[in-house]
Amino acid sequence: MTDRITTWRPDRRSVLMGGAALLATPAILRAQGSAIKFGTLTPLTGVGGTYGPSMRDAAVGVFDAVNAAGGLLGGSIDHVSEDTQTNPEAAVRAVRKLIDVDGVSVVLGTWASSITTAVAPLCWENDVMLFCVSGADSITQLPHMGYIARTQPNSVLQIQVAGEFMLRQGSTGMAWIGPQTPFAQSSIDILAGQAEGAGIGMESLIYEADKSTYRSEVDTILRSNPDFIMLGGYAADSTVVLRDIWQSGYEGKIIGPAYAVNPSVLEALPPEVTEGVFTWEGAPAVGSTAYANVQAALGVDVVDPYSAQTYDHANLAVLAAAAAGDASGGAIKDALRSISQGDGMEVSDALAGMDALAGGGSVNYSGASGPCDFDEIGDITGTQFLFNKISGGTPSMFERI
Amino acid sequence: MLDLLPQFLVNGIITGALLAIPTIGFTAIFAVLRFPNFAVASHATVGAFAGLVANVHWGLPAVPSLAFAFLISGVVGLVSDEIALKPLRKHGALTTAIASIALTIVLENIVRFFFGNELRGYDLPLVRDIRFSDIRVNPQQLENLALAVVIMILVFAALKYTRMGKAMRAVADNPGLADLKGIDAILVGRVVAFAGMGLVGIGGMLFGLGTSIDPLTGFRFILPIFAAAVVGGLGSIPGAVLGAMIVGIGEEMSALVLEPAYKSAVGFFAIVIVLTFRPRGLLGERAY
Repeated sequence: MTDRITTWRPDRRSVLMGGAALLATPAILRAQGSAIKFGTLTPLTGVGGTYGPSMRDAAVGVFDAVNAAGGLLGGSIDHVSEDTQTNPEAAVRAVRKLIDVDGVSVVLGTWASSITTAVAPLCWENDVMLFCVSGADSITQLPHMGYIARTQPNSVLQIQVAGEFMLRQGSTGMAWIGPQTPFAQSSIDILAGQAEGAGIGMESLIYEADKSTYRSEVDTILRSNPDFIMLGGYAADSTVVLRDIWQSGYEGKIIGPAYAVNPSVLEALPPEVTEGVFTWEGAPAVGSTAYANVQAALGVDVVDPYSAQTYDHANLAVLAAAAAGDASGGAIKDALRSISQGDGMEVSDALAGMDALAGGGSVNYSGASGPCDFDEIGDITGTQFLFNKISGGTPSMFERI
Repeated sequence: MLDLLPQFLVNGIITGALLAIPTIGFTAIFAVLRFPNFAVASHATVGAFAGLVANVHWGLPAVPSLAFAFLISGVVGLVSDEIALKPLRKHGALTTAIASIALTIVLENIVRFFFGNELRGYDLPLVRDIRFSDIRVNPQQLENLALAVVIMILVFAALKYTRMGKAMRAVADNPGLADLKGIDAILVGRVVAFAGMGLVGIGGMLFGLGTSIDPLTGFRFILPIFAAAVVGGLGSIPGAVLGAMIVGIGEEMSALVLEPAYKSAVGFFAIVIVLTFRPRGLLGERAY
């Protein structure tokens, strides 16, 4: 009896019926097994929602262009978009769907550090390459075996550059105020070290995100009489902090990351609140062919750094797959540095790179966000920084280093 | 640090007074309809955006914009209650409460669909703080405080002196007895859904006046609103005011002894303490 249940031997009838069923299956279902699937996991909603849609569109523009030109490795690229909601739990559910249901080999565009940290283990355990724009140093220190590459300068470098800027501007007392994030404490430690080296004071305060007022926090940080305050949060809380600092009568300087003091913050706040505020960011390669490609794809004059980076992610993934002759996550991981750096022909989009690779050459992709060279742990190298100063509610270039 | 104590107290009173308005709406709905309506989060957002349309697009000053916020969030509250929550009430408070969480996500995304994710600010003149000795207060905060006090007085007067207010209290205190006396509980429920969510909408706009708003604006207030209502006693309107002041002042004063990153813990610490010694909240389960 047990044998009858567990043993199955194909006979002529069942084989014929199976073959007929297979032939009757719609072509699209049969094609699914060999399709190349790339996923975008951007913040379409939540505090990163300002950037997510255009980040996704920048990547889709690359995939569409490749598909229109004949596809990749003899097939077309299927793109699947998921929303992180700028929330780690939602992002984990979304990446599980991308990996388990859609079967993507690449995930690109994760924004907040907490989200990249949450989804990264799922990626490397499932042979999925992860491209991110997150800054926390801890991300590339994870045991990711090469499955993480980030185009955003890490937070150590970002804070060092901004701290040096504050000192160059003559600060005699620094302060850092921001929410609890994976890079909050390291930011404070770096600034404290720089302040100590310069022989000046440094005060810091970590607040809770998502509050409607930070008056008491601002009162606390101003007790040390700083003359230069660094903001460490995102757009929503930075709006509140900037307003509260201005209302307190503070007359010193302020600097914030460009993603925190972004166009929507400048739109929401009266110009007098942001007058003289500095911002800094990894400088996109304005004027490059790749930057112009993103401008055209998104239909905008100014490309935000994250859309520029996600455009680069898509190009890097396509070129690495083309160079490896295989679109699996492991193959893309292994081939990444062969197309992102080195002595090959410099290319600024996937199509030009694929042509060069097809001709037997090697390529060095240089993108919209910069040269896109990676060190051994996946950190970007050679990034330039752009400092802007806001006047009349509009940022203008102050310094580029 | 103790030198900041008076300043923190003032900040706490202002925060608590603003928190009291949506908490009154939340607890009034609980008193009459007998379920915690977590859709207050999205209704605060709806009110904030309705006020934004009135203020920025139509150029109305703050007070008429607040009235418009009340009207729109009240209507949305009434319609969404009729469509999504009322049919579920017969299945119990837990089912309805879970549905209200789903409702709040739907409404939040409708707001996002029409207004996008960007931060938006009201078109009101921004002024620096006024200083009284070592204490600083912003004129906008004083105006918000005054508005909150006036609204609270109006709510209490309506409950005490109007026929509908008395009917609401009766249904909240004893629905069976109110029914025997001929009070139309369905009508009372509709009025509470409208007025309660209208107050929540006003709360959303009042908070937005001091900051900026986005589709997540209401979501940021849901925890303090819930904490304040539970501490004061779910269903008690004076309790809502008391709970809001305890949570508001407690959160601000906590900076004296706690890292500011743990501010929200104060509300939940207050819930644990109060419920341990008085499970029905500070002012019990009384509508007025």
